[in-house]
Amino acid sequence: MSAIHCHQLCKTFRQGDEIITGLDHVDISIEEGEFVCLSGPSGSGKTTLLNAIGGLDTPDSGEIRMGDIRIDQLERGPLADMRLHHIGFVFQAYNLIPVLTAQENVEFVMQVQGIPAAERSRKARDILREVGLEGMEDRRPAQLSGGQQQRVAVARAIVSHPDLVLADEPTANLDSVASTHLMGLFSELNENHKITFVIATHDKRVMSYARRLIKMQDGKIISDEAQ
Amino acid sequence: MADVSLVLAWRNLWRHGRRTWLTIGAMIFSNTLLVFSISLQFGSYDMMIDNTLQAYSGHIQLQHARYLDEPKMRYALPDIDASAQTLRKELGLSSISARAVGFALASSHERSYGLQILGVDAEHEPLVSTLPGLVKQGRYLDPAAVEEIVIGSVLARNLKVGPGDELTFLGSGFDDSFAAGVVTVVGVFESGVADLDRSMAQVNLGYFQEIFAMQGHGHSIVIRAAHIDDVDQLMADISTLKPASDKLAIRHWDELQPGLRQAIQADMTSAWFMYLVLIVLVAFSVLNTQLMSVLERTREFGTMMALGLQPSRLARLVMLETALMTSVGLALGITLGCLITWYLSHVGFSYPGMEEMAVKFNLPDRMYPAISPVSLTLGPGIVAIGSLLASIYPATRLYLLLPIEAMRAA
Amino acid sequence: MQGFRLHFVMLLRLSWRNLWRNHRRTYIMLGAISVGVWAMIFMTALMRGMVDDMLNQGIHNLPGHIQIQHPAFLDDPSVVNSIAEPEGELLAALNQPGVKRWATRIKVPAVIASERESRGINLLGVEAEAEADITGLPAQVSEGRFLESNQDQGVVIGAKLAQRLETRLGKRVVVMSQDPDNNISERGFRVVGIYRAEMPGLEEYNVYAARDTLQKLLRIEGRVSQIVIVDQDYRDIESLYRRIEKVTPSTLEIKPWYEIDNYLAAMFNMMDGFVLVWVIIIFLALSFGLVNTLVMAVFERVREIGLIQALGMRPRLIVYQILLESLLLLLIGLAIGNGLAIITVKPLESGLDISMVAEGMAMMGASSMLYPNLTLHDMLLANSVVIILGILTSILPAWRAAHLDPVRALNST
Repeated sequence: MSAIHCHQLCKTFRQGDEIITGLDHVDISIEEGEFVCLSGPSGSGKTTLLNAIGGLDTPDSGEIRMGDIRIDQLERGPLADMRLHHIGFVFQAYNLIPVLTAQENVEFVMQVQGIPAAERSRKARDILREVGLEGMEDRRPAQLSGGQQQRVAVARAIVSHPDLVLADEPTANLDSVASTHLMGLFSELNENHKITFVIATHDKRVMSYARRLIKMQDGKIISDEAQ
Repeated sequence: MADVSLVLAWRNLWRHGRRTWLTIGAMIFSNTLLVFSISLQFGSYDMMIDNTLQAYSGHIQLQHARYLDEPKMRYALPDIDASAQTLRKELGLSSISARAVGFALASSHERSYGLQILGVDAEHEPLVSTLPGLVKQGRYLDPAAVEEIVIGSVLARNLKVGPGDELTFLGSGFDDSFAAGVVTVVGVFESGVADLDRSMAQVNLGYFQEIFAMQGHGHSIVIRAAHIDDVDQLMADISTLKPASDKLAIRHWDELQPGLRQAIQADMTSAWFMYLVLIVLVAFSVLNTQLMSVLERTREFGTMMALGLQPSRLARLVMLETALMTSVGLALGITLGCLITWYLSHVGFSYPGMEEMAVKFNLPDRMYPAISPVSLTLGPGIVAIGSLLASIYPATRLYLLLPIEAMRAA
Repeated sequence: MQGFRLHFVMLLRLSWRNLWRNHRRTYIMLGAISVGVWAMIFMTALMRGMVDDMLNQGIHNLPGHIQIQHPAFLDDPSVVNSIAEPEGELLAALNQPGVKRWATRIKVPAVIASERESRGINLLGVEAEAEADITGLPAQVSEGRFLESNQDQGVVIGAKLAQRLETRLGKRVVVMSQDPDNNISERGFRVVGIYRAEMPGLEEYNVYAARDTLQKLLRIEGRVSQIVIVDQDYRDIESLYRRIEKVTPSTLEIKPWYEIDNYLAAMFNMMDGFVLVWVIIIFLALSFGLVNTLVMAVFERVREIGLIQALGMRPRLIVYQILLESLLLLLIGLAIGNGLAIITVKPLESGLDISMVAEGMAMMGASSMLYPNLTLHDMLLANSVVIILGILTSILPAWRAAHLDPVRALNST
């Protein structure tokens, strides 16, 4: 169900007196298991497109389907459930809950999903090991480096095996070693778990991992090629 | 770690430890005060009711239907002694006693005073009233004797008589005839109730009926229940045995002492006004803290919503935080309130001016608060409910949150 | 001076704007202060009204502000313990200006009988024209008339007593008491007036007759039980009391009202204490929120305070700024609270009917109408407690803000 089809997406924002075009009649299809990078300068519409696909934002017109579900027509409640069970998010600013440990941050989402305690605990431990944070389960975000925090955020996003992971500038706050490490993790997850990745970035190194690169400008797709 | 939400809520509380403690401080302050004053209130009400009813009026009285509003000689019940005896047997309760009431002018060698003279069943009277036990000089009436009288202490002083002295009294009898007698003072009681000490005297019922030409009549059958909570049941039992009619009424202590319940009501109303103000102020504190806490976490809540959490779950998280904070305030407030109250319930409590007030309401001059499960939890319980209600507004703000805007917030 | 004014204006502006930066928090705190101040003043006005009423009732019932009597009379209110009518120095002192009213009275226990019933009563022989100022009874006569002279041959009885005796206006009743030689003296009186007292208990108990008539009946011509004196205000009788005490013969006893009735005195003295305790309790409940607000305001502005300190603002000015912010908050809250109290008390001043609990109020010695009494004194007390304690409570958070380390403050997030 993870194939995504966007048709004629439009979105504008008001900023002061100006009207800014976020998306301008965007058509795009992403198949199951793809590893896609969205690139383009700031304000080109990358984040807007990610948010629209993730149901965080509704387009002014056009349609988005994930499998046979019209995401743009879902109510807030079902949308939240959709994100909870099928989509993982990774943000530029990690956005971990500061009062919870790495382990607890990962478990929190699973608890909301209704996974039993024992299973939760085991899964969280496994996934943290997989992202290379073994031994750091009981640290709070403030006790972790930026790269480690981002890996916790990734662990949180993928622990329940979502069909799709949306990442918005995941490496913006990371140094090159941490970035390489993170992208390695992403490709591995993409191959091993068949998770679809859509990553918005303007980091050249990130783009080099992509198997499909979509360039955007002024809310339009200006190129879309496999590499 | 069984429940991440609980852990999350608890840790969130301590992100601003000082703020949380200040809010909990307001709760502890109010809860302690509420526990103490509600215990004190309950303690003094119980004592007020018991002392007032036990001294004289009892819990229930059988009277002529018109006697309560017009306490006149002729509104009497026939064969009162036999009726009381039957009632004792049928109810299996011995604390039932018959009385007759008259007015007379009593004269000693030096003085004359108007007084209320009571004909009592000296054998059963001690079971319904504390007066016989409060005889401070001499003794109480001998059931077999005639021409004996027991009088209040102030009256004794005013008449300048004591045990062994003679009194003559004059009044009018049941049939409007002239009633007169010469009696010997055998005892002087001191109840602390000004009205009784100043103007009451007791003689044996048989003697009273003879002097006042009562022809077996009396004015009331006084019943004291084993416990004040049994009164309603007892009332029901009595009315099946002796149905009320235009000649007979069964009077609850509420009717016999209307001032008592009303004084309690008036006191209760003003006390609850004060409690309510305290509770509202605590609610404001909670509202302030929780609203701030929600507003400063906008970004975090945005993330959680992006991860797929419903606003209702976040709202529940905020309510859970309030509940935890309230529980701490509740536990500490009740503990502190309980300790203070417990201490004062042993050593007693008084403030300047209390002694004078206490006399007015038949209370001892030190107050002993009564700790009960209700007095411990009633006030703090309402504080807790008020706090939870106050956090509804901050919680509903989460429903207005849009994830991307929230995540953009500073 | 100029410099100070400039500073002050700047600080005021800064504090004012800071106050509204987190307007929700400010509104909530204002709400709490307003409700608290309202409750302080409203409750005090109700209690003050009730206690005033109790004192007025009580003093009317004593009666008078100062009483002179035989030393044994209060303990043994018998005809034997009578005193001569005032003369000489005492009479001159009583007739001085400053005494609002004085009168002699007879007060003896007696029995009253109609053709159907008899009752023990308190028989009062009063000077007819002075009674309005002393007990206010003439105004309470609901049927017939009050006594017209000191030689009036009628009696005025309470409505409840009339009902108990099954008698009514114009009927005859017999009054029995004793003379100083312990002989029963009795005579018939016509009921010329019936009164309704605010305290139902009194109606059954007090029977009014003319003084001279009773002197004759009790065979105590020229003697009375008491001299009662009414001053301008019962709260302030000390100077008059001392003046009269000086000329009172040592064989007589003179007492101010607060020594005669301990309950009244206790109520009177307790009232001010009660108001203070109530105001302080409310303040304490508020203070947690106030400190909280200031602590948070400082916390949010740590960086900013670090910055202005780094720019060279003196710590003292930061203290002033926070204190001023707290003061502004308190003043607005007080203004709203006082306003609310005035508009809620004013409509009630015509009387709050609490007859639902009339008999309970009677037990306390108050009547069934409650007239709230909003006094300037109580309002000032509430306001000054809030301002003074409010500023004191704000000093700690303000001082902490002023003593932040600028470098650490600037680096904090």
